[in-house]
Amino acid sequence: MKVSGSKPEFAVRINDESCSKCAICYSSCPFEAIKKDPETGKLLLEIEKCQVCAICYSSCPAKAIDIIYYDMNSLTSYLEKAKDEYKSDSLVIKCKGSAPDFEDVEKLFGISEFIPLSVPCVGRIPAEILLKAISTIRIKAIYILACDEDYCRFERGSLIARLRVTAVNALLEQLGYGKELIRFRQRSLKVKADRNKCISCGNCVFYCPYNAARLENGAATFDLELCRGCGLCVTLCPALALDLEHWEGDRISTIISNLSQKKTPPNILVMRCQWAVFPELGEEFDSNIHIIDMPCAARVDPLHIMEAFWQGIDGVLIVACHEEDCRSKRGSKEARRLTTALKKTLSQLGFEERLHFCSVAPRYPESFQEELRLFKERIENICSQEVRQ
Amino acid sequence: MIVTAQKPLDEILDFLSPYNSILIAGCDGCTQPPRGLREARTLAQLLELGGKLRGKKFNFKAMTMPKQCDSYLTLAALQPQMKDMEAILSLACGLGVQTIAQVLPDFHVFPTQNTLFIGAEIREDSTLEERCAACGDCLLASTGGICPIARCAKSLLNGPCGGSQHGKCEIDPEKDCAWDLIIKRLEKLGRLSALDEIRPPRNFGEVMRPGRVSG
Repeated sequence: MKVSGSKPEFAVRINDESCSKCAICYSSCPFEAIKKDPETGKLLLEIEKCQVCAICYSSCPAKAIDIIYYDMNSLTSYLEKAKDEYKSDSLVIKCKGSAPDFEDVEKLFGISEFIPLSVPCVGRIPAEILLKAISTIRIKAIYILACDEDYCRFERGSLIARLRVTAVNALLEQLGYGKELIRFRQRSLKVKADRNKCISCGNCVFYCPYNAARLENGAATFDLELCRGCGLCVTLCPALALDLEHWEGDRISTIISNLSQKKTPPNILVMRCQWAVFPELGEEFDSNIHIIDMPCAARVDPLHIMEAFWQGIDGVLIVACHEEDCRSKRGSKEARRLTTALKKTLSQLGFEERLHFCSVAPRYPESFQEELRLFKERIENICSQEVRQ
Repeated sequence: MIVTAQKPLDEILDFLSPYNSILIAGCDGCTQPPRGLREARTLAQLLELGGKLRGKKFNFKAMTMPKQCDSYLTLAALQPQMKDMEAILSLACGLGVQTIAQVLPDFHVFPTQNTLFIGAEIREDSTLEERCAACGDCLLASTGGICPIARCAKSLLNGPCGGSQHGKCEIDPEKDCAWDLIIKRLEKLGRLSALDEIRPPRNFGEVMRPGRVSG
């Protein structure tokens, strides 16, 4: 069922009329979602394979690709507005994969006042936007925080962003704007292990989708070169000996305990994989809907779900990618298994309906909103029945 | 591994009705699934929620220890935690509960688990399967390393029985016929002749309960 209004059925579309058939999209798509008709040269998008990384969008010289999220117009208008709002002429663009928030940006880049822009992969930012930001919107410096290239959830996004920044910097210098106006850094957020707490159960060794964990001298040891920061091992560690950089369990607990709940129910917590839903710029929800973006549904911890219920949250919605889209191999599958197990236990308290797991994909722009709407209805029903009783 | 299953929350909440301050003691030993700190905290949260629904407020303290069946280690881990505590909930197998009862005779200790069997974790299927019956008279040398006592529904010494169907047991088509596994394995090893000899009934007089080993 479609919500009335607005968005197209799919998030990406190739516009045949403006397409010059250069096939840059075909060769740059990391997921082989764009096919080339051998006879006509026409480019065809296989939406089922598309992960909406927007590398094609940001690379298309003919601007023949339409995209819903972070397109040129919305980025431009965001920057124009944000320049006044934040009273700053520095722009920080970060990939969600490399930082959940802007907390340590000050330390990383040595700036304290800036316009924040958080995107799912910096490879989606077209060179035109960087040029426009400097030349037209009068931003003085751009700082980009990308993921390490072997950590990029869209395989080539970080690499493409790095090459693009080099080219744009050279161009800006030639045009006389100045040298190195765009600064580019890469990093990854990985597992942290406390060997003293490890009980050698081997869960991390078995479940790590990247074979990064092994037991050495009676405790878990991680090869951080291999770790991709999905957080599955953290969620499955029975000894609470593991944590994920910048996604620390305590940090998530603090967010949950600080949720400002409305007095009238329902209060709903959505823990969503940051690759399953691409929020629009300036995304806003009713004040009783609380959103926490997660590095992967695999890091949705039953302990955090229980904390939310204890805080008085009426319903918890877990939003994951479809299993075949999971950016961390088995993260979505394991998240579903863990949620199902917790639901079974919660059924003993009559709470199972208050927890729901769903899979969505950014390629279907309405899918998350639709799931949220249905869940909200369900929780509203539960709450109103409670009031009657 | 000792395989346990958590008791219904209502049953645990009933145990706790006379108490307010309760220590939840995990065990990092061999219980499967692991019943360590994460489980202790999760159970505390579930019981708090359950208490809330019953209109009762608990004060839980969740902790864990290396192995609850070790009386020395258990006493050392629990003693400093017991101030203001009224009762203990154990996440360990039946051994852990009894060890706590022994080392802290002044406290009431309750199990949160039903202890099921000695089993192996089949991680690929997220299941736990009984593999050893602790029978006291190990046959594994002649059965290709597969135990018919623990894994055959009838604990047959000379199998299979007529209920073996396509490698599965007639009592549950989800379960493998242990004797089918044994024969296939011995065949593969070229040791089928190990089954030529008929095994006589076992001398149960050798296996005295309760078991005790000295020294």
